[in-house]
Amino acid sequence: MRLFVFAIGGTGSRVLKSLVMLSAAGVRPVDENGHPVKDLEIVPVIIDPHKSNEDLKRTEQLLTNYRLIRSKLYGNRTEADGFFANRIVTLHEIMNDSAVQLNDTFVFNLSAVEHNKFREFIGYDTMNEANQALTSLLFNDDQLENKMNIGFVGSPNIGSVALNEIKDSPEFRAFANVFNAGDRIFFISSIFGGTGAAGFPIMVKNIRQAANLDINNRDVLRRAPIGALTVLPYFNLELGEDHRIDKSDFIVKTQSALYYYKETLTGANDSNVNALYYLGDQQMSVPYVYDPGEHGQRNKAHMIELIGAMAPLNFAGLPTSRLCDDSGYPQQAQAFEYALDKDVPGVDFKALGIDTRHFIYDKMVKLHLLFIYLNTGFKTMIGQGYTNDKPEIRTDFLNSQFYRTLSVDFMNAYKEWLGEMYHNTRRVELFNIGEWDMGKAIHDVMTAKSIFGRKSVDNDVFKSEMNNLSRKSASNDNQVEFKFLDLFNRAASKIVAERFENIN
Amino acid sequence: MKHSIFLAIGIAITIAFYALSYSTGANVFEMLYFNQGFNDQLFNLQMYPVMAAIIALMAWGGAAVYYYVINSVKFDRWYHWASVLAVCTLLAPIACYAYIDNKFAHAGLLYIDESIHFVTQILFIEALLFIVASFSIRWWSSNCRHTPFPQ
Repeated sequence: MRLFVFAIGGTGSRVLKSLVMLSAAGVRPVDENGHPVKDLEIVPVIIDPHKSNEDLKRTEQLLTNYRLIRSKLYGNRTEADGFFANRIVTLHEIMNDSAVQLNDTFVFNLSAVEHNKFREFIGYDTMNEANQALTSLLFNDDQLENKMNIGFVGSPNIGSVALNEIKDSPEFRAFANVFNAGDRIFFISSIFGGTGAAGFPIMVKNIRQAANLDINNRDVLRRAPIGALTVLPYFNLELGEDHRIDKSDFIVKTQSALYYYKETLTGANDSNVNALYYLGDQQMSVPYVYDPGEHGQRNKAHMIELIGAMAPLNFAGLPTSRLCDDSGYPQQAQAFEYALDKDVPGVDFKALGIDTRHFIYDKMVKLHLLFIYLNTGFKTMIGQGYTNDKPEIRTDFLNSQFYRTLSVDFMNAYKEWLGEMYHNTRRVELFNIGEWDMGKAIHDVMTAKSIFGRKSVDNDVFKSEMNNLSRKSASNDNQVEFKFLDLFNRAASKIVAERFENIN
Repeated sequence: MKHSIFLAIGIAITIAFYALSYSTGANVFEMLYFNQGFNDQLFNLQMYPVMAAIIALMAWGGAAVYYYVINSVKFDRWYHWASVLAVCTLLAPIACYAYIDNKFAHAGLLYIDESIHFVTQILFIEALLFIVASFSIRWWSSNCRHTPFPQ
């Protein structure tokens, strides 16, 4: 099954970043029986005309790194267990129509939109006087002069016009070509901004009305199970007089959009969207710097994005019977909400609630231990113990692209992501930031008791466990990259289960 | 399979060593040190097989302790292994000397200089057998199988 994830706007990119982190930890969607969904491929498509948006750039780089790491680990296999388990691919990678030319990127090419001012895009200057007057009623001067390469700056009325072009793009055709029965579509967007609030309903409309488009797989697309994460206001912006995005507008915009969604997407008799995940937080984030221009928003990662990233995974695991009727047509919209177990300013694993803990705890802890191990112990292990088993991990491994991407690029992004969530409001304190002692790394979770105090968890414990596992599974058939992360994953599973207090 | 062959070879070498300690024609101890009166007494009092057993047991026992009792990532470097080798190599001659001295004392004999020269040779035998034992059994150790050097 392919899950096409359309991440629209800044919030879309940021939620996608959390999804990549969860995927790196090995969090996989599970079906109703608790088994991982088989043969899953996640196809993220970032839709944002604001390409210099820092959040977009960071997410795109993260996706690129994830893809490189995963391909070294598992090649093209969809089935994998452990770190980087979810296969994440670009549209280009899976497309089979050579007639469509696409860049091998996760970002939707909106060149038709992004190089124009909005007034040029709609041909304002060529309109007759009456149409110009009508247009001026719908769009103010700032909006008409808006250069769309910085996005729609909180103006969904611009976005709803501009993004309608998507249906004629090569990317949309490529998507339609590769979409098969059984695949699913998921949208991630905020409801209180411009790009996301506008892009989501337009994309749904174009997919549901695919019969009117000159594309392949129209019927399959029309019946596609569609889910969406709609993020309600959760972040704050610094105050300013001339800001075109103002936090005081967030609630009004949200109400308007919700009414619109109710009329067009999620009403009592609508089956345009089958599963809608609402998420928001009344406790707003720390105020972000307002910078919609050249540098774009660079918002701190936030708990809402982490929770939101679980929505597409949850959606992928929903049984088809909950999304489609017996004839294969989409079922009526169902809404999902999320609540913390404890409404606290500092959210750790215990505040997330038992289901979420079951879903992510072990895996996130393992990723964090890997982060510590790579930073504190691994280099000194080369030439010892398990590294000497076949295939041998030699010092040249430290210079490989895989290792540098994993240990430097990806783990730096992970550290930054954790730090940003920790310093945000609400504070996400899953782990004790800056703590290199593995036994003390998980917030409010201690190591298990032993006869002489508490069990230790350190690099030596990992080395010993990995030595033991490696002895039983040494094989020339594996790649060095796979050997290392697979051993670490299995060792960490045992260590987390046996040496930490059980909070599940 | 390869590891089992190493084990079999190690056992065979040890048995051969033990067998050669019985031998009159090519006695392994007498090949290393020979003093007519002293070695005659060792042979007549049947001390060779006992010393061979002491040496073999200390070599295999020491190796087993290192690879399966110590067996720790904190002691998996070559110098940790070398330390155990050194301890065994020192203890084996001491044990043999104590044994010889005790037997000679009961027999009313005195061969102090010869005994010291003799047990000095045991240093080399013990070191050799410890290495043989190490390469026979290290493969199944979880943490030290790559010590003193990788497989």
